Amino acid sequence: MTQNAPSISLGPADYPLSINHSELLRTPTGKALSDLTMDAVVSGEVTADDLRIAPETLLLQAQLADASDRPQLAGNFRRAAEMTAIPDAEVLEVYNALRPRASSKEQLLAIAERLEGHYGAAESGALVREAAEVYERRNLLARPEQA
Amino acid sequence: MTATQPAPSNRRTSRRTEILDSRPVNLDGFVEEWPEKGLVAMESDFDPRPSVRVEDGRIVELDGRARAEFDFMDTFIADHAIDVATTEASMAIPSDEIARMLIDPGVSRRDVLAVTRGLTPAKILDVVKLMNVVEIMQGMQKMRARRTPANQGHSTSARDNPIQVAADAAEGALRGFAELETTLGVVRYAPLVAIALQVGAQVGRGGVLTQCALEEATELELGMRGITAYAETISIYGTESVFVDGDDTPWSKAFLASAYASRGIKMRFTSGTGSEVQMGNAEGKSMLYLEIRCILMAKGAGVQGLQNGSISCIGVPGAMPGGIRAVAAENLVASMVDLECASGNDQSFSHSAMRRTARLMPQLLPGTDFVCSGYSGVPNADNMFAGSNFDTDDYDDWNTFQRDLQVDGGLRHVREDVILQVREKAARALQALFEYLDLPPITDAEVEAAVYANSSNDYPLRDVLADLKGAQSVMDRGVTGLDLVKGLEATGFTDVAENLLTVLRQRVSGDLLQTSAILTPAFVPLSAINDANDYAGPGTGYRLQGERWEELKKLRHVTSATNPETEVS
Amino acid sequence: MATPATERTVSLRETGPAERGSRPDEVVIALSPAFAGEFTKTIVDLPHAEVLRQLLAGIEEQGVTARVVRVRDTADLAAISHLGAKLSGSGIAVGVLSRGTAMIHQKDLPRLSNLELFPQSPLLDAEVFRKIGSNAARYAKGESPEPVPTRNDQMARPRWQAKAALLHLKEFDCIEADRGPVEVKPVFELSHA
Repeated sequence: MTQNAPSISLGPADYPLSINHSELLRTPTGKALSDLTMDAVVSGEVTADDLRIAPETLLLQAQLADASDRPQLAGNFRRAAEMTAIPDAEVLEVYNALRPRASSKEQLLAIAERLEGHYGAAESGALVREAAEVYERRNLLARPEQA
Repeated sequence: MTATQPAPSNRRTSRRTEILDSRPVNLDGFVEEWPEKGLVAMESDFDPRPSVRVEDGRIVELDGRARAEFDFMDTFIADHAIDVATTEASMAIPSDEIARMLIDPGVSRRDVLAVTRGLTPAKILDVVKLMNVVEIMQGMQKMRARRTPANQGHSTSARDNPIQVAADAAEGALRGFAELETTLGVVRYAPLVAIALQVGAQVGRGGVLTQCALEEATELELGMRGITAYAETISIYGTESVFVDGDDTPWSKAFLASAYASRGIKMRFTSGTGSEVQMGNAEGKSMLYLEIRCILMAKGAGVQGLQNGSISCIGVPGAMPGGIRAVAAENLVASMVDLECASGNDQSFSHSAMRRTARLMPQLLPGTDFVCSGYSGVPNADNMFAGSNFDTDDYDDWNTFQRDLQVDGGLRHVREDVILQVREKAARALQALFEYLDLPPITDAEVEAAVYANSSNDYPLRDVLADLKGAQSVMDRGVTGLDLVKGLEATGFTDVAENLLTVLRQRVSGDLLQTSAILTPAFVPLSAINDANDYAGPGTGYRLQGERWEELKKLRHVTSATNPETEVS
Repeated sequence: MATPATERTVSLRETGPAERGSRPDEVVIALSPAFAGEFTKTIVDLPHAEVLRQLLAGIEEQGVTARVVRVRDTADLAAISHLGAKLSGSGIAVGVLSRGTAMIHQKDLPRLSNLELFPQSPLLDAEVFRKIGSNAARYAKGESPEPVPTRNDQMARPRWQAKAALLHLKEFDCIEADRGPVEVKPVFELSHA
């Protein structure tokens, strides 16, 4: 998904997107900002799933961050774009697995593979791989009886 | 440790000594430095000397330590925070030159950032150690990310009473807080109190952002459901062992940062001087050195901002020589590496009102992104963050500081009748919403109490067990922010419902994810991108003037110039 | 001191490695490395003997058994309390640090969560410790007691926090890495101070 970077090129003057570029914004369910009205909420046309951010939008915000000389913030947004596809419960699972001494190296690598393979989340997977390596060096993998 | 002085026995004390000894400042605790254990603010012989070495596009030495000896903080900072391309050049600039750049209005914020992004923790410490508090303030004035300063409030209750939280949130929002935060005495109360905070905030002033401080996973869950709008209690620490004691690592926290962004939720980390020594493992480093490691870790994780300024550990640097200078310096460091800074002043700090005020000045005078990362919008006895440096009793003093010094601390005076009106509306809205959601009822007597109350003692007692069951059912039934919108709309609180929906809709745009973002009353996202700090000396940058200055000229009692027999307010 | 006072003291006799309990009606009291050892009283001079006596009385008045363990390899309250809960037959434990900070924990909760936390050591007196013991026992019986009212003196921080840090540093020096928890038997004595 990160491969399909938006073709448009944004700079600081385009911010805030909700005001200057609402035409670029879609919910993950394909609705426009202007579709998210009170009437639509009341009628049930808009659900909690519509009030989420789309990966494409996070990549636009990453462009704005890069254009504002904030490469780390942009990187965070790119990982976030990948993670929009991961269900809430699994996000919490991965977070808990990354806690110190919570996982074996194999478990962390399996998570990285799932992130990369199943969700196409290359940058998030890389973060987990890096953690596995550092945890091994710093003795922060699960101790055998806890794994 | 030095020997204590023998207690003078049977010696007569002077009347003056008696008076001095009974002054509130002498109820504060002060301790000696113990640098070997890290009980020292910012000047320690045990801190490392600055150094960096790059090989094949990788940092292989950081502050005197080779890569093979890196702990996980060194590794994370070297691989994610420091700009490898510029670090050797930046590190070659003498520290006094960088310190001068920070205070020179002729050097732009952007030019400073071009240097600071290549600095190591020890080098940054070396720079700020050269600066006195006035120079630290000058630096902050220029380096703060958002041009317009703001403030954040706490709304909590010693009884976790949701009606109190809603009414005080509404009043706080009306008085000017851009963000409101709550936490609990009994953690299981969280869903009800978080709902109350959100409703109260949107009654007081549409667009105020709310959060509920909880254990990381639960805090994220409330955010994902849209019951809260941002998160901030994502704690990080300056040593590996304390980080691990907190059951996290830089990688788990970086993952969490992306998790929040992936749900469109604004988030900042929290750290502060004194936490490592407080938790017993500072590895013999000064408080400020360890805090700078936290700040760079936050930067490397790609989180937009940081709450720092010692925060819940303020009693530790506060007890040390030069401690409050170190606290001002840590705020400056967050700003000088381009992070949003919510700058403390959010915990009970001193028995002395004079000392409390002095501690605030390095943030209030230059302005920060959030001058307090929690001004208590309830009396301190109700503050479940264990009290703040300022509370509701201080509202008029704060407004007077702003007027005296012509500085914008984010608050304003509001007339009593307007305050009573929003308090009632907040309580009524919550009453209606609880009924709609089939939660334990809120009586008319409780609403009446909320209008005129000061503290939790002024409210009828709730049935705590019924509330806790209700709170659990909010989690079990999967109630979301959108359910709150529907409930408010269905019960006739259309404008409040609309405000909340607009806040939730912001998630879709992601505008609040950018550095230092807040929402204006017109729901315009204001961040370091469209409101970048452009301070360049006298007459530039944010100036308190025009309509806002007229607003801040108002106090509770001001004699009318037109008719001196009356007051205006 | 002018008047010699009678003071209760306690010593902790180690009886062997702490095992996982099988009785569903027990609460574990998990003590920090320096409790009733290197240190003898809390930050506000409440004797550790009194802390322990009140906790035990609170648990026993609910008809529940108490077992005391000393944790040696950490001075972190959440870790101590959670470890205690995992050793407890009921899954409920009270953790206590030398300076007095206490927590009621349950084994199935995340480590950094808890049932009840009493973070402000300067405000914990004998009465509060008795209520903590009593509430822990009621959780062990499967009840949902009203939490012990949280005291909230916002001025404890400026007065006590740095001293607490100093005490914690001293307690940290008593950590014995890689040594597991031991079961201890409290032996109370009256002594003339």
